[in-house]
Formats: sequence, C-alpha cells, structure tokens
Amino acid sequence: MVKEIEVEPVTRLEGHGGLRLVLGDDGKVQDVQFNIQSTRFFEKFVEGRYMEHVPRITPRICGICPIPHHIAPTKAVEDAWGVQIPEPARKLRQLLINAKQYSSHAIHFFALAAPDFLLGPFADPALRNVVHVINKMPDVGAMALKMMDFGQKMCAAVGGKAIHPIVCIPGGMKKALDEDVRDKFLKEIENQVEWSKKTVEIGVKVVEDYWDVVANVGNVPTYYVGMTNNGVHDIYEGDIRIVSPDGEKFDYAPQNYLEALGEHIPKHSYATHMYYKPAGYPEGIYRANCLAMTNCADKMATPLADEALQAMRAKIGNTPHFTFAYHWARLIELVESIEMMAKLLEDPDIVNPDCKTLDVQPREGEGVGVVEAPRGLLLYNLWSDAEGICKKANLLVATNHNIAGIEKTLMHVAKQVFEDKALEGLKLPDPWIK
Amino acid sequence: MVKVAFWQNSDCWGCHQSLIDLHLSLLPVLPALEIVYWPAVVDFKYDSLVAREPGEIVVGFIEGSVRTKQDKEGVKVMREKCQIIIAFGSCACYGNVHGLANQWDISECIDRKYNTVESKVSGGGEPTEHVPGFEPKIVNVDEIIKVDAYIAGCPPKSEQIFSAIGFLLGQKPFPMNDLAFCNECSLNQSGCLLDEGKLCFGPITSVGCTMKCPDAGNPCVGCMGPAKTVSARASKLNDMTKNLGSVSSGDKKTTYEFLSLFLNVPLMAGFDLAADILKQVKKRGAPETPLANLPSDTEAIASNVLAYLRDNRDFTDISTVCDTCDRVIGSKSTMTKVKRDYEGLPNMEDCLIEQGYICLGPVTKAGCGGLCIRVNAPCTGCYGQTEWGVNQANRFADTVLKGFNVSISKEELLAQVKDPIGTFEKFTLASRKGG
Repeated sequence: MVKEIEVEPVTRLEGHGGLRLVLGDDGKVQDVQFNIQSTRFFEKFVEGRYMEHVPRITPRICGICPIPHHIAPTKAVEDAWGVQIPEPARKLRQLLINAKQYSSHAIHFFALAAPDFLLGPFADPALRNVVHVINKMPDVGAMALKMMDFGQKMCAAVGGKAIHPIVCIPGGMKKALDEDVRDKFLKEIENQVEWSKKTVEIGVKVVEDYWDVVANVGNVPTYYVGMTNNGVHDIYEGDIRIVSPDGEKFDYAPQNYLEALGEHIPKHSYATHMYYKPAGYPEGIYRANCLAMTNCADKMATPLADEALQAMRAKIGNTPHFTFAYHWARLIELVESIEMMAKLLEDPDIVNPDCKTLDVQPREGEGVGVVEAPRGLLLYNLWSDAEGICKKANLLVATNHNIAGIEKTLMHVAKQVFEDKALEGLKLPDPWIK
Repeated sequence: MVKVAFWQNSDCWGCHQSLIDLHLSLLPVLPALEIVYWPAVVDFKYDSLVAREPGEIVVGFIEGSVRTKQDKEGVKVMREKCQIIIAFGSCACYGNVHGLANQWDISECIDRKYNTVESKVSGGGEPTEHVPGFEPKIVNVDEIIKVDAYIAGCPPKSEQIFSAIGFLLGQKPFPMNDLAFCNECSLNQSGCLLDEGKLCFGPITSVGCTMKCPDAGNPCVGCMGPAKTVSARASKLNDMTKNLGSVSSGDKKTTYEFLSLFLNVPLMAGFDLAADILKQVKKRGAPETPLANLPSDTEAIASNVLAYLRDNRDFTDISTVCDTCDRVIGSKSTMTKVKRDYEGLPNMEDCLIEQGYICLGPVTKAGCGGLCIRVNAPCTGCYGQTEWGVNQANRFADTVLKGFNVSISKEELLAQVKDPIGTFEKFTLASRKGG
C-alpha cells in the first residue's frame, strides 16, 4: 500500500513549509515534495511605488534578514539611475550587512540548529529547542545571546532599526555612525571575536562527534551559487559565481544574471526553483547559502576566517557536498563578519557625515542589485520610468535559490532512510544535554 | 506556567525576531511560559494545536497577514483554543504592506510571479498541488475573529512586547541579576556621575550589560531592567528623583530613557489594553507602579519618576510619532515644494516636513519612539493611522497645513505626490474603509 508521510509544518524554519513523502508498496521512495505554502507578491505590489520607497517596503520580505533586502534594492535603484555613492556610504553598508550576518548566523547556529545536536536527534520534541538549551547550558546560552545582541544592536545603530532598517537611500546613507556609539561597539569587539572563535570550537566538536552522520547522511553533489569579489568571499558586492559539482567555477556580472540563473515554476510550491541555466533543470539544481559561499570562494576576506576555511578544506576538501557541513561553513562566515566589523569600526569613514550624494536624478532604465543574504544570494532587478516610479520588479531571493536543492537533498536522504536503512547503523554520540 | 501559542500567518517573522531581540532579558521570563505552539522555535506540529481543548491556551499571539486559506483556518483555530488573542504586529493589526496587493486582482499578482517573470524557463501558472490557495484580498484578522488586544508596529519594539508579556503574566518588569550595575562600573571608586550631581540609574539597574555607558561618561539609563538588590548609592538617587521638575535638560533626557527602557512606559502607548500606563495616567491621574517583589529603594525611585510622568504634559499627551520626535516644529525651514526622499540630505534639527519631505509622524500612532526620524529618514506610518475611515492623503495635508511651516496649498501638495497609496497607506491599505 502506498504510504504518505507529512510533516506539517516544518519547524525551526523561517517561512511556511510542509514536507510530503510518498512511499510505494515496495518501500521505495516515489516522491518527495517540499511545499512552500505562502507568498505575498512583493514583485507585484512594488509596481507604481516610488523607486526609493522599494527599499523601505521589501525588508518586510524577511524579518530575520531585512538588511540585505534593504541594501540590494537600493543598489538596484542606483544601478538603474546611474548613481554613485561616496566611499563612507559603501563602508557603512558593509558594516550593516556584516552586523546582520553575525547576528543571523549566531541565531541560526544556536537557536535553529544546535538543539538537534546538543540534545540528539531522538530527543523529546517538547524539549528540543533553544529554550531548553539555555536552561541546561546557561554559559553557552548567555554567550549566544550576547553575540546575537551585539549584532542586532549594531544593525540598529547603523540601520536606524535592526528589523526593517531605513538608513539606505539611493545616493548613499541618510546618516553615518555617531562617534560615541562607535566607541561603545569598539570596546566590545574583542570579547565578540573571542566568543566567535569559541563558537567555531563548539561547531568543530559537534562535527567530530557526529562525523558518521556528517559524512554519510545527505552527501549530495549539486551546483552552488554565491558571490565573490575577484574570487574573494564578499557578501556586499561582487560577481555571481557558480561552482559545478566537480569544482569548476563560472563568474557572471550581476547585470547578466539571466544568462546564469533559470527559474522553474513547479506546481507544488509557492517558492519557485532556481537552477544553473546552462546545465538545464533538474541537472543544474544548485544550492545557495554558506557552504555554497565557501565553495565559491578562493579565500575568505579576513585572516581568522581564512584560517578556519583552510582547516575545513583540509578535512573535507575544496568542494564538499556534505549537507551538514553547512553548519561549519556558517561559523567560518560568522568569524569573517566579526573581523570585518572590527576592521570597519576602526575606519574613520564610518563616522564621516559625508555619506550621501546630494544630486540624485531619476532616469528611465533597469538596474540590478545583488548582495549575499545570510541564507543565500539575493538579487533585485527593478525597472524605473523617467520620473522614478517602479514599473516592474523581479526579485530572486535566497529561498528560491535553495528550494530545489533542499528538495533534491530530501529525496537523497529519504532514500537513505527508507530504502537503505542508513540511519540504523549510524554512530551517534552521547547527547551533551540529557 | 502560562500556556502561550504563536501563530504565524504570511509575513516576515520580524515580530518574532523583535521578541527574540530581548536576548538576556528573556531569561527570567522563559521559565514562566509553557510554549505549546511556535513553529519558528519549537517542534510542535499543527495537529497538536488542533487537538488542544477549547480555551486551553491562555494567550495566543497572531502574527502576519491573512494571505492564504491556511492563514485563515489557523486564525480561527487559534481563536477557539486561546482565551486572549493578541494581534501581534502591524500585519495582524492592519494588513501591512501586503495590503498593497489589494490594488490588483489576485490573478494579476499570480500572473506576474508565475507566468511573466523574466527568469522563468519552464513550468508556470498558479501552483495548486499541496499548497493552500490564496485569499482574494488581504483582510484584517479582526474581520475574521474577535481580537482582544493589539500590539502595533513593524515590528513592535522589543520592549513593548516585553511589557505586554509581563502584563499578561502579572509581574513586570522582571528583576534580572542579583547585583546592581554600580558593582561593575568603572566609575564606582572615583568619578561617580551621581557624586557629580548627574542622574544615573546604575544603583537600581541589573549588571550584565555589554555597553557600560558610564565608561564613556554617559549615565546608565536602566536598559537591563531592575536588579534584585541595590547599591549603596540608591538613597542618593532616590533623593535626586524627588525633584525631577528642576533637573537639567541632560538629566531629563536620562529620565525619559529610563522611563522607556526600565519601566517601558512611553512604549506602552502602542499596546491597546488596560495595562497601558499612559492610559492609566490619563484616566486616574496615578499609575499603579508596575513593579513586583523589588527592593524598596527601587520601588521608591520608580514611583518618583512615575509621579513626574503624571505631572508632565509632555508625556500624558503622547499620541503621535511627532510627540516623541526631538526635531523643531516651527523651525527656520518651510516646505515650498514636496521633496522626494532621495533629494539632498535633510539637517538633523528641523522638522522633516518643514524641510519639504513627506513624514507621516503627525498622523501616525506613537509607540516607536521616532526611530526612523533619528537616522534622518521620514516616518512612513508603520504603527498605524491615528484616525480611520477618512481619506488619509487629505488628512495628512490638512494636518500639516494647520500646524507646520508649509507655504504650498493643499491641492499643490497632494498633486506633487505621485504615489498617494504607497505614500499615505503603505501599511494600512487593507484597513481602508470608505474615505
């Protein structure tokens, strides 16, 4: 008899997703669907808006990563209008996006992912959450909260609001950082760098403890999509980079995104499936997000993070396909983000009020803005009329870039679980929290 | 333990991020809550929510706009299972930016996303397999079920959420750590700000912060909340807070920040429930001290500050974002034409409207503390309108022509705004009734 398994909803996930698995009489996996169950049509209702209002609307696409959704459309407007920004504005935006990267990666590791590892995958679902982790490991919990807090406070200080920032404007930034505020953050940086290093240690220990799982569950070769700046890991600006399953790299200027990125519109998900167009669908399905970013990068932008990347590569190679290695890659990016913040806070441009081009003129045309959001590549293509009204928009968000890859991974893991019974012989460590 | 549930409609989850942004302040609260549904954080599935007894859950937070049929069904299930329903955030209160989609038929939205999009190569049309289906228009939660309280904001400020939860649990604010901030202050031995005659709330505020304002010469304003014990300087602080009416402007600023960060008072303006301290002050003249089980010095100091609040019209009249904005109205600037946000760069002192920009401060509910305006960006109205059922563009124009330096006519002003819906009803189009 055909058996259907539904997970409704998928939890500890940002967004609305359900999972459906169909098993045949013979125990074979017939179908796996990752059903994204909501969408809100931002690409439609930004039509008719002032171009400069788009970056004040679109952060509402994601409350966890509103900052990339503020910066990317601002860059798209500037591209459409041919506007240059002053160097202090560029640095302030880099500081802003790295602050978000830091808090988001900390929240992902500690609140969304860690409960599975620290309590073990078979723990009571009522306890398998961050609240329980904080209660049982108060030291780690307090450290995690202070890291998230620092990142969010920095987002608020630069962005005006941590959630749904307002400071970016075509032409630059509405305001630079105040010196006294900058000084407060600078004092705290050293602790944060230490805690980031400690988090990497915890992450590496988790990988070692769960090595059997990491190496054997969800090892799925795919393409990867990310961004690099002349090959260097960069979340603020650069070219779109695609990496093939065997490690070949292809670069595309953001404006040429349609050559690289194809969209398949499935019947079973409101989020569409993005893939590498020259390879076709489904062969060209890629994954985005942190492991994709480290697979794309020749090197990290900062020394400690690059050291951590080399350590990961020494263990699992240059183009690893281990899904669980995402947690490791995320911590490498976490370290890079705090090092970037430390460097930018020392830069006098961060408090330089000359952070806005005063003469900005709308013109007819289209523009593309790309940044790397914490969950993957984020691309805005906006069309402006001569008065600066938005005529049309195409938004390719991190979710789109991940869904096909997630579904492919789920199919792989479902076969491992139900057909190969691969979980039965796995070696699991004693949970840290019992 | 109080049973709480969080339901998420179609939205960005930013209200939950705002709640989580309380970070360390959450620690004393969590043990008081039994979270029975919160997909973003805990692993309970939808079945388990449906299986609960009617009214079994004490407080239900509903976040997000009702875009899908699943959203609508979930909202109804929540009403059945929860004693108190809170519309949490401007999506649940007003529809938020998603309501802008109401300008089009849903089929046009679907067509843009799934048929005509430039990057499409294969597939297409509305997804229909194992997805819930769309509601034709964004309709507010309170048109579907009865809502008991509203917390507006996009997102609501963390402290505002904290106040609401604290109120619902009947014990706010929560004492944090044992020791007061003075114990960790670098000025504890010499150079204490209180000794120099400056207000500093370190003696009653909990240790544990990372910012340590006094290190930079600024007073502690209490953002960590109360400590379980006070430092030796508490009596000095108590004496100083008895005469707040005559303190310097710097100390007044410290007091305002203390009110909002320690007592959560101005922020409560966004919480439409009897717990709103501002409303209590307006009605009865004396607020109940919202503290519980705290040192007597802390109680006394909080009472002194609240008494100041009661006697100070600047506070009791807070109703719009302008009331919490530091900029000068009646400044040296005058609006002679409507400027777009990308034009020039406004100065930080004069009212943004008088500098020519459309700022919705005078027609938007207070509660945010004017965050956008502080980084030189105009208010766009995320806390909601102060008056409903009228033409919002007209109301804005009438308001600013009356009380601000504006030298153009109402007709000229309105004609220069090319996107009136996106400008005046960005967050509230779904709430438009007539007008």
